[in-house]
Amino acid sequence: MFEARRISGKVVLQLVATLIAIPYVLPLVAMVQGSLAGQGVGNYRAVFATGVVGTYFRNSALVAAGTILIVYVCTMLASFGFSKLRIAGKEVIFWMILAALTLPEVVLLTPVFATATTLGIYNQLIAVVLPLAALQVPFTVLLTRNFFDGIPNELMEAARVDGANVWRTFWHIMLPLTRPIAAAIVVLTLINAWNDYLLPLVLLQDPGKQVVTLLPQYFVSQFANDQTKVLASAVIVAIPEILAYLSLQRLFERGLSAGALK
Amino acid sequence: MPHTEVETMSQSTAVRPVRRRPALAAGRPARGRRNRMQATGWPWILPAVVLVVGLVYYGIGYTGYISTLDWDGVSPTPEHVGAANYAHLLKDPVFWLAVRHTVVFFVVTFAVQTVIGFVFAALMHSTVRLRALYKVVVFMPVVLAPATMAPVFRQFFGVDGQLNWMLRHVGLDSLAQPWLAQSSTALPVIMAITVWQWTGITFILYYAAMSQIEPEILEAARIDGAGNVRSLWSIVWPMCRGTTAAMAMLGVIGALKTFDVPYLVTIGGPNYATEFLGTLIYRVSIPQTHVGYGAALSVTLLVLALAGAIATALRSRKGGRSDV
Repeated sequence: MFEARRISGKVVLQLVATLIAIPYVLPLVAMVQGSLAGQGVGNYRAVFATGVVGTYFRNSALVAAGTILIVYVCTMLASFGFSKLRIAGKEVIFWMILAALTLPEVVLLTPVFATATTLGIYNQLIAVVLPLAALQVPFTVLLTRNFFDGIPNELMEAARVDGANVWRTFWHIMLPLTRPIAAAIVVLTLINAWNDYLLPLVLLQDPGKQVVTLLPQYFVSQFANDQTKVLASAVIVAIPEILAYLSLQRLFERGLSAGALK
Repeated sequence: MPHTEVETMSQSTAVRPVRRRPALAAGRPARGRRNRMQATGWPWILPAVVLVVGLVYYGIGYTGYISTLDWDGVSPTPEHVGAANYAHLLKDPVFWLAVRHTVVFFVVTFAVQTVIGFVFAALMHSTVRLRALYKVVVFMPVVLAPATMAPVFRQFFGVDGQLNWMLRHVGLDSLAQPWLAQSSTALPVIMAITVWQWTGITFILYYAAMSQIEPEILEAARIDGAGNVRSLWSIVWPMCRGTTAAMAMLGVIGALKTFDVPYLVTIGGPNYATEFLGTLIYRVSIPQTHVGYGAALSVTLLVLALAGAIATALRSRKGGRSDV
């Protein structure tokens, strides 16, 4: 976009890019530096010595996996139905689902809390998984329906003529074609489920049931005001996310930015 | 490839379609390409509809009902108060403060993110070294949970934090201040954290939009004598309008949903300086157990979010039409 013929111009471009990028690394540098202050690696040892890190990670993984499973199944079935099958009042239902896109999760706070208590699933991971999935599905259905709309209907025809019923057409022909969008959905749901804070905060009280976003808070109460250990726990939580992003860079960028593309 | 799969599976289900096909052809001749697939889609959309209606719409209805109660969430005999919670809300200065913060927050974060994201995307399309590294650096925060980064920012902007340390080291001691503890700087800090978190998305979207612009167009502008800034402003920026509109909509909804950062970094304070609707609803509903009032705030928030989404959608559509 910018054209720089002379060296001076190139230097200016490089300089501006660097100046923009630096503030984005600073907090990460501060995080690592802060976590190593005082006892150095000892902070990390103290965090792991509490023995809860594994539990929090396992719970987060379970929440993310459960949410992804529900979102994936609901999204694929519904998007195929909306795009390729006949449904009375289709667009009305579709817009009803879309309207849920704007819903801030804090609105669901009291109903979910009250319902979870009534059903006896308060303090259980499923109480977090279900609302997370319900909040994610409207968006993934929008994305995936558009994707299905791009698959020619002739493909359905051909399958039918060859004697395949709707389910087989979906399973053997449509589903394999949706791999690119499915990857985006999985990544998007993974990040949203893994990073969610409000629902676990309200619905998971038992420390044995809590997830990684609650870990820094746990250490704030564990280590009183020892910031270094709180930061060490933040680094421990951040590292898997950074590694996941670095190893699947393209997928993450596509999946997360799909959020704004229609 | 799909064709062979169809063949192998049609062998196993050879009976059913044969029976069905003549009936279909005789009874209802296919009307149009779209209507040929006769199966009804209801069973297919049912799981998603149950999930969304069962949780989201049920939740909204429940919240709407609670919003007419004076209730602490546990008492078996909540008192019906009609619209009293809403009347209270209109007179609540903290509510209006939260609304004002949301508006300021949206305008500032959207503007800053757009400028940085757009310029950075243009730079990444230029001859700059280490582009791969720069891109990763700017996008990384998107992946990290605000809840994970909150303690980092509490320290970074603290009195003895890294920011003040840096300011003192470059001789700007006078600028060093308790960023999170004073009303005047707390909200800007919350906005800065949000910009830090989400510029990656803005950047990636502009970057993708710019890849679609044909180099010939820019070359033609160059030949006509347009400089870097001129062609960026008069050609590239208008061609990225769709991205800007999408980001505006996302920004409005995002601003209304704001919770994690102000709750974890400043707890809405000091003195309500970083109160947002999300933090207000949480504090009223959970620690203060004014569930009825919290529900009234929730319903209001939902109405604002819907109105905001519709308004931005309409505006971007209108803008697009008048220009194209």
